Amino acid sequence: MRRLLAATAAIGLLALQGASAQQRAPFDMSGERPPAPPEQVAPSPGAVPPAEGAAPGPIAQPPAAALRHLLPTGNAVLAGENPQRSWSVYLTPEQAAGATEFGLGYQNSLVVAPEISRLRMTVNGNRLFDVPVASSDAISRLSAPVPAGLLRAGFNDIKVEAVQRHRTDCTIQSTYELWTQLDPASTVLRFADASVMRWTRTDDLRAIGVDVDGRTAVNLVMPAAEEMSASASALRLAQGLALFADMPNLAVSVTTGDAPARKPGTATVLIGTTSELSPLLSAMPAGAATGATAAFVDDSRYGPGTLVVTGPSWQAIDAAIDTMARPVDRDPATQRTALATRNWRLPEPPMLFGERRLTFADLGIQTQEFPGRRFRTEFAFGVPSDFFASSYGEANILLDAAYSEEVLPGSHIDIYVNDNIAATMPITTAGGEILRHLPIKVTMRHFRPGANTIAIEAALLTDADRVCAPGATALDKGRFVIFDTSEFAMPAFARIAQRPNLAALAGTAFPYGRATTPVPLIMDRGGANLSAAATLSGKLAVAAGRLIPLDLNVSPASVAGRDALFIAPISQLPQVALTQVGISEASRVSWGDAPPPTEAGGTTTEATFDQWRERLSGSGWRGQISTLEEWLNRTFDVSLESFRLLPSRNPEFTPGGDASLVVAQSAAPGGTGTWTLFTAPTAAALQDGMRAVGSAASWAGLGGYISSYNASNGKVTRIEPASVELVQSSQGSFANYRLIIANWLSANAVSYSLVLGALCILLGLATALMLRTLGRDE
Amino acid sequence: MKTLIVLLWAGLSVLVLAVITLPINLETQFIAGMVVLLAMMILKLVRPEGTWRLIALAFGTAIVMRYAYWRTTSTLPPINQPENFIPGFLLYLAEMYSIMMLALSLFVVASPLPPRKSRAANPGNLPTVDVFIPTYNEEPELLANTMAAAKGMDYPADKLTVWLLDDGGTLQKRNSDRIAEANAAEKRHVELQQLAAGLDVRYLTRARNEHAKAGNMNNGLEHSTGDLIAVFDADHAPARDFLKETVGYFEEDPRLFLVQTPHFFLNPDPVERNLKTFDRMPSENEMFYGVIQRGLDKWNAAFFCGSAAVLSRKALAETGGFSGVSITEDCETAVELHAKHWNSVYVDKPLIAGLQPATFASFIGQRSRWAQGMMQILRFRAPLFKRGLSIPQRLCYTSSTLFWLFPFPRAIFLIAPLFYLFFDLQIFTASGGEFLAYTLAYMIVNLIMQNYLYGAFRWPWISELYEYVQTIHLLPAVVSVILNPRKPTFKVTAKDESIARSRLSEISAPFFIIFFLLVIGVLVTIYRVYTEPYKADVTLVVGGWNLLNLIIAGCALGVVSERGERAATRRVKVSRRCEMRIGDAWYKGTIEDVSVNGSRIRIFGELPEVIPTDTSVDLRFKTFVEEQESVLPMGIRNIERTGDGAIIGSRYRPTEAIHHRYVADLIFANSNQWTQFQLSRRGNPGLIRGTIWFLRLALFQTYRGLVYLGRQMRGYESRPRPASGGATAESRR
Repeated sequence: MRRLLAATAAIGLLALQGASAQQRAPFDMSGERPPAPPEQVAPSPGAVPPAEGAAPGPIAQPPAAALRHLLPTGNAVLAGENPQRSWSVYLTPEQAAGATEFGLGYQNSLVVAPEISRLRMTVNGNRLFDVPVASSDAISRLSAPVPAGLLRAGFNDIKVEAVQRHRTDCTIQSTYELWTQLDPASTVLRFADASVMRWTRTDDLRAIGVDVDGRTAVNLVMPAAEEMSASASALRLAQGLALFADMPNLAVSVTTGDAPARKPGTATVLIGTTSELSPLLSAMPAGAATGATAAFVDDSRYGPGTLVVTGPSWQAIDAAIDTMARPVDRDPATQRTALATRNWRLPEPPMLFGERRLTFADLGIQTQEFPGRRFRTEFAFGVPSDFFASSYGEANILLDAAYSEEVLPGSHIDIYVNDNIAATMPITTAGGEILRHLPIKVTMRHFRPGANTIAIEAALLTDADRVCAPGATALDKGRFVIFDTSEFAMPAFARIAQRPNLAALAGTAFPYGRATTPVPLIMDRGGANLSAAATLSGKLAVAAGRLIPLDLNVSPASVAGRDALFIAPISQLPQVALTQVGISEASRVSWGDAPPPTEAGGTTTEATFDQWRERLSGSGWRGQISTLEEWLNRTFDVSLESFRLLPSRNPEFTPGGDASLVVAQSAAPGGTGTWTLFTAPTAAALQDGMRAVGSAASWAGLGGYISSYNASNGKVTRIEPASVELVQSSQGSFANYRLIIANWLSANAVSYSLVLGALCILLGLATALMLRTLGRDE
Repeated sequence: MKTLIVLLWAGLSVLVLAVITLPINLETQFIAGMVVLLAMMILKLVRPEGTWRLIALAFGTAIVMRYAYWRTTSTLPPINQPENFIPGFLLYLAEMYSIMMLALSLFVVASPLPPRKSRAANPGNLPTVDVFIPTYNEEPELLANTMAAAKGMDYPADKLTVWLLDDGGTLQKRNSDRIAEANAAEKRHVELQQLAAGLDVRYLTRARNEHAKAGNMNNGLEHSTGDLIAVFDADHAPARDFLKETVGYFEEDPRLFLVQTPHFFLNPDPVERNLKTFDRMPSENEMFYGVIQRGLDKWNAAFFCGSAAVLSRKALAETGGFSGVSITEDCETAVELHAKHWNSVYVDKPLIAGLQPATFASFIGQRSRWAQGMMQILRFRAPLFKRGLSIPQRLCYTSSTLFWLFPFPRAIFLIAPLFYLFFDLQIFTASGGEFLAYTLAYMIVNLIMQNYLYGAFRWPWISELYEYVQTIHLLPAVVSVILNPRKPTFKVTAKDESIARSRLSEISAPFFIIFFLLVIGVLVTIYRVYTEPYKADVTLVVGGWNLLNLIIAGCALGVVSERGERAATRRVKVSRRCEMRIGDAWYKGTIEDVSVNGSRIRIFGELPEVIPTDTSVDLRFKTFVEEQESVLPMGIRNIERTGDGAIIGSRYRPTEAIHHRYVADLIFANSNQWTQFQLSRRGNPGLIRGTIWFLRLALFQTYRGLVYLGRQMRGYESRPRPASGGATAESRR
């Protein structure tokens, strides 16, 4: 044990020295980089999270149908010293009344000290669990009865938080080894009776929830899946269902007859005319033969609470869909005040359309006293799709906080935007200090359309931690406090749409989310294609916060100059679409079946060249130049790229063998309108790829003009366009144009110098002219 | 057409301003800074004048304005931290003052008028001229030279009257209750009357010493009738061509009230003397007379500097003579007359030669008077809002008067870094990268712009040095005049003191205290860099700033360490044929240099074996004035024998009034020689060479100052007080 202690202390010392050495470097005073990368949990070899469901629980599982999984994204890791999460779970009136107990399953890292670490779960403000974190060997499964009257029909707020301290180590580095993983299989709400899972009202669709993996599946049974005319209705229904469900990982799969058995997190929906559906169902809902109907039936084949959307004709079905979806639709003219994320994150991120100040209380951060070493808290907000301030903009955090006299100078408060470091505020005075509205500038570089998170992390160094006497990891006195009167101040920012910009598509379904006339969607027929298109349209509807009217009855030739969506296997895509977005014609045949084209001359040369450059960097005067470039890059973000004058053309893109789905965007031919294309080698790959890309983590990764999804590692690779076209998206005002110009010139640094230089020359000439006419002559 | 051009310029300016106030990011600022610096350097190498100069200045202005924008919008400490905000805001104000002064100077010297053509050949119709030589306590010999030189001016004798206006022999002084003073005044009264009579100069004194110099000259106005008034300080001797070069302008422009010419000094000021730069570097006032007055002239705003100028009686009559509200009556008179739509002209050719204060203390005394006087003008005449002045004139006078507020920003720049180093106050919030991209670029651009504007007249860092050495003692003076604007009284600057032995100036103590304070600042910097590595970046930047202050403060130690000097007066190189009588024989020779006391003459031929020092000799040469042979009695001081003769150092022994005219003719008759001397030390060393030169100078002067201090501490007697003799008054911006 003592040896372990010594070793940890040594590592801690090394880390400290590294940090101070870095800070001592002359002229690197920007203080915008933290001493350690902001990576979440860097698990040490001894601290690997256990495989999911590895250990069988001692409690017998009740029938699957009589529970709701609570974790909205499957597994949830609570990392650090003060992690916390909040979200809501929608319960039907029957579920609210019939719930019996909450289950909580977790496993934690070996280094978490059980005697001083707690795990707590609160539902609607009532604490249900408050237990020591003491389950490093296997998953602990706890349960608590539901107090009477705790749950209500509709949204119920759940909050899970942990206080975690290290057993032996007092370093900041050691806090990254602290984690508790919640077990999705045993973190549940149980019901006495499986019948509460039955749905009877349209609103009950909101209670769809997730399965044990955090996925939500809509099984659309549609006998007419091959008919293009019916597909439009199916897509509209998929959008409505997605908006009802509003879950992060929702996928739609379309079949003509069968559907998988009902389980938590799934919905089975039948859509078709009465004549199409009657062979499948034991009994049709009442009135289906005469008018538009959307009703729940209990069917022997599809299970209880199956939604049937039907009518005598497809027109009637469309009417049924419209009626059903009305509560979740939104008039495009009204702006959203917040993004709908309550099913996986609370509070919902407020939308910021311009200058605005929000207190931390508004953003869901309460006043917190913190006795540990690395304090972390975060908040979220949304920015519109035409956000155009990433190059110049700076938001401000006006921090109300305090640190105690034991906190040493050298501690720092870091701000992360979407997990990228955006600012560092060093603590330089000893003896404690109260910070009153201390401004911290946060670069907007990593802001993106849609939801953004900003994390505030305070790394606190003390003499006591440096010594780290046995038992010193426990602290009772607060070292740091953050007050909810702190503010996040968003300045007025430039707003103009950019094309191509897949991040805007992912964030708010731009530009399709604003459409008032049907958006052409060009797809291929077939169940797999329709599934992919339905998943996509559901995803877009959630991003847009409304139903997007789609038009499937269009030819590729007629959509030039209009906003349009293409979703099809690459072989089925029209030639013009591929050319327009810059995907090479050759990929039509090569992608999917051919091995990755690493043998092709171009890439090898490039890769080899890069290798050699890597090897030779730093030697000789050329090496010195690249070192200078690196330094400039570090200090000012200046790279040789900054000196380009005219944007180069986007190179033609050929999907590599490891890409399973490619998303690409460009202007439509003719210059107006935006074309976005989703493609994969085959229809099946398209359906799977779309499901994967539609998951919250991947979807947020979309950006640039081409994003490709790699199924083998689940990563999305973005390619930034060499040039971006700006499209007027809001009321033009002088102030907005000024900011737009500022951002454009900041992105094209040399252009600014040229504009300034040209104006100065003109001004010099004008001055000369003026001096010749004014005052005395020679 | 004129309006159209101004509108075009204003439109472009608005556009430039719009581009400058864009909230661009750091990277773009950095690149823009580099590009502008590069452009300015190239322009400077290729073509530093004319339109190209204006373009380069526009470039520089852009960077300065970007700095001002950034400084205003993102570097001020939060207002809820008053301990940081208040000093931070003071520093901000100091910087904004500097930027505003830069803007005003840019306007003033946007396009200095080139020197006017010589008018000596055809001066036109000659009006009658009264020459005023106001005096208070100057030695008769000095006055004799000046009067003789004035009489020697090339002008019809019937149209020229020279007046000695003696304020040291007034009735009030002669009847003083203090008998010693009364006797001295009486003696002076008699002596000067005789001297004046001998030189055919009218002596005038008055009953009471009211309104100092202005009152004295107004008394002169009452008793004289000439169309024009030429004013020379008691120690400012005019060259022969002075009137020929100046009076013609009055005929051209009936609304002309002033022709001002530069003040050329034969002796170094204390800074030049102690740093030994007089022969190599342009004098401090050359920036003013070489560039600024020419710039002012462009806007019809050249102003009266108290001496070496010709004024129109008609114009003066309109304001009731010289104004005397402030203690700088000269500039004040000019403001009043400009406001009455009279015009002024500046002739950029040294036509007088004079003396300037020799000791640091009297130098500071003179500057205090200028600063206080200009503050009084700012307060009582408010040139920016003065009715009658044109807009350019308002800006010009504002620039000239506000300049004297420099002790405030200087003092703030001096102590600001100590706030951080000693008290840990954060008065400037910026990261290292921002500091590099904005502040450093701004500082370099600022230096380049200074070099562009004044390069040949003012070497890098010299302005900073002069401002610093004045700040210490000027700050209280300026504060006092702001608090009590009517209090300061006219004090005559002593100029003919000499320093027999090397010593520290009597007002040098604060300089050493500040120097050691800054040294402690450097030590604290080093200590903090090592003990507080997490903020070493900021400490280094602030420490660098403090080091810069220390370098200037170190150089100032040399300024206050007065060098002992053998010859009190400046020698001027000449080359004139002459003959010298030694014993009974006349030897042919050449006059090689002259000063107000004596000259050096090279003679040829077989000399007597023994020539004792103090042997009386006669010097015979042709004067410029009447083209007649003149004989000037002299005494030999030293002899250096050469192969074909000898070089003889001699001292004048004037016995008659006419002899003063011969001496004046030797020294002052030829103004071209002064121009030659000025040109010989004019030259732009460039920013880099100039900076290196200054660093070496500062290092040596720090050493010299510390050596002087060491000597003083060991009890080395610094007995000889400056021998205060005659003094005179003159003024400038």
